[in-house]
Amino acid sequence: MRIGLIAMSGVRVHNPELAALGVSLPQFVSRGKVIASLPSLGLLTVAALTPHEHEVLYREYPDLPSAEQELEHFDLVGISSFTAQIGEAYALADRYRALGVPVVLGGLHVSLMPDEAARHADAIVVNGAEGAWPRLLQDLAAGKLQPRYEGLRARVFEEPNYVLPRFELLRGRPYNRLTVQTSRGCPLDCEFCAASLRITSSFQQKPVDKVVAEIRAAREVSAQPFFELADDNTFINKKWGKELLRALRPLGLRWFTETDISVADDEELLELLAESGCAQVLIGLESPDSGSLASLDPHNWKQRRCDDYLRAIERIQARGVSVNGCFILGLDSHGPDIFEKVRDFVTRSGLIEVQVTVQTPFPGTPLHGRLKREGRLLAEPYWDRCTLFDVTYAPLHLSVAELEAGMRWLFSELYNEREFLQRKRRYMELMKRRF
Amino acid sequence: MNDEEVERLVRALLGELSKRDVSALGRDEDLVEHLGLDSLQGLSFLAAVEKRFQVRFPDERLSALRSVGALVEGIGSAKKEPAA
Repeated sequence: MRIGLIAMSGVRVHNPELAALGVSLPQFVSRGKVIASLPSLGLLTVAALTPHEHEVLYREYPDLPSAEQELEHFDLVGISSFTAQIGEAYALADRYRALGVPVVLGGLHVSLMPDEAARHADAIVVNGAEGAWPRLLQDLAAGKLQPRYEGLRARVFEEPNYVLPRFELLRGRPYNRLTVQTSRGCPLDCEFCAASLRITSSFQQKPVDKVVAEIRAAREVSAQPFFELADDNTFINKKWGKELLRALRPLGLRWFTETDISVADDEELLELLAESGCAQVLIGLESPDSGSLASLDPHNWKQRRCDDYLRAIERIQARGVSVNGCFILGLDSHGPDIFEKVRDFVTRSGLIEVQVTVQTPFPGTPLHGRLKREGRLLAEPYWDRCTLFDVTYAPLHLSVAELEAGMRWLFSELYNEREFLQRKRRYMELMKRRF
Repeated sequence: MNDEEVERLVRALLGELSKRDVSALGRDEDLVEHLGLDSLQGLSFLAAVEKRFQVRFPDERLSALRSVGALVEGIGSAKKEPAA
């Protein structure tokens, strides 16, 4: 069989005023652009789960023929998509199915909205592809394709479930960033989180030797890629984290990951971060004062850590590892003063990079369930507006217009040329202390 | 220190930090493209140059310092900083 695996990529902001700001203040969407330009690690894993007798071709949505042109021929199509692009994924699936080509849909959105996705597919895969995809191919060959396959929610990094993603399918493509996953899930379980914890039964870590093997395989495709760890919270387990960093240290990498503020608690870990080539850690600070972080996660972990944010950022950045501090606007505790509070915190903190987004009730999250129960979702479905910049619900202590206007003001305060230059200078002064 | 000496030291520093052989790198060649530096690596390198030569480049000039030639010129015209 000739199997086409198609990754959806590229997310657009819908609000026209924000879209215009994106042009004049390009730094504010830079992280989103990076994410949209990364290859789909999930589909490379699906490819690795495919028996060798099949031919697998990896495609990205922007490379496909336009709606007027003929589609590339495949015997089976697998599509994976972010929530914001799921409408386009469904439309593509419908086109292939109209040609008689069986279509399988998978990924996070499909796992969280299986009934919706099933209307556009011959089969859906929920959770990870491990434990589902090989069975699906066997059933298809036998003419017994089922409408729904459940992938594993645990032990995905253990034999015989684990496979090394087929990075070689990316050969010849101009990626300067590649992804490797070292863990799935996050025990913090924040209400808004729409990441891999929704498709795992518990926090799972990949054995370090497997991570290193993947990095080596990825480097055969791109000589000096910048690595993004496709994790939700890499350094939950400090002992394992140090083992990982010691293994990365001799590889001469430059890399990035997402973790939480507790990474600053461990001096040895911080030293290893720097020595292993970590350029940046992205940390969800969410809000600048502890009062506004109540109930964000079940144990109020972030609220308890908030008062230490400034010291922690300084400890991390003093090692030459920059912090990308993330803030979410529109939490239920946020009133009209939140925008100035974030601006002031960013100024005080010396953060090298800042990411500000609007709270987004992704489908399947506890936040989505709560706002739906409270009748605060603006219009459903709103998946194409799950861009992290478009407001899709009624905030509690702000109007939608106030939230949008405040966000625009904050973007113009944080992402202007002067601020950008100041952050560059701050980083250089930090690095001078390291030399 | 004359320009040739400055260039020799800039190249040595660049080779040390990038762990690449930069001897064949053209004087006007784009460092970021040629060496595949990410933005933070680029800034780290500029920080190392500032520290080594005890200068401070104007912030608004940082993004223009992308070749050995531009750096040599930039070091010559930058404000001297007192040794740390």
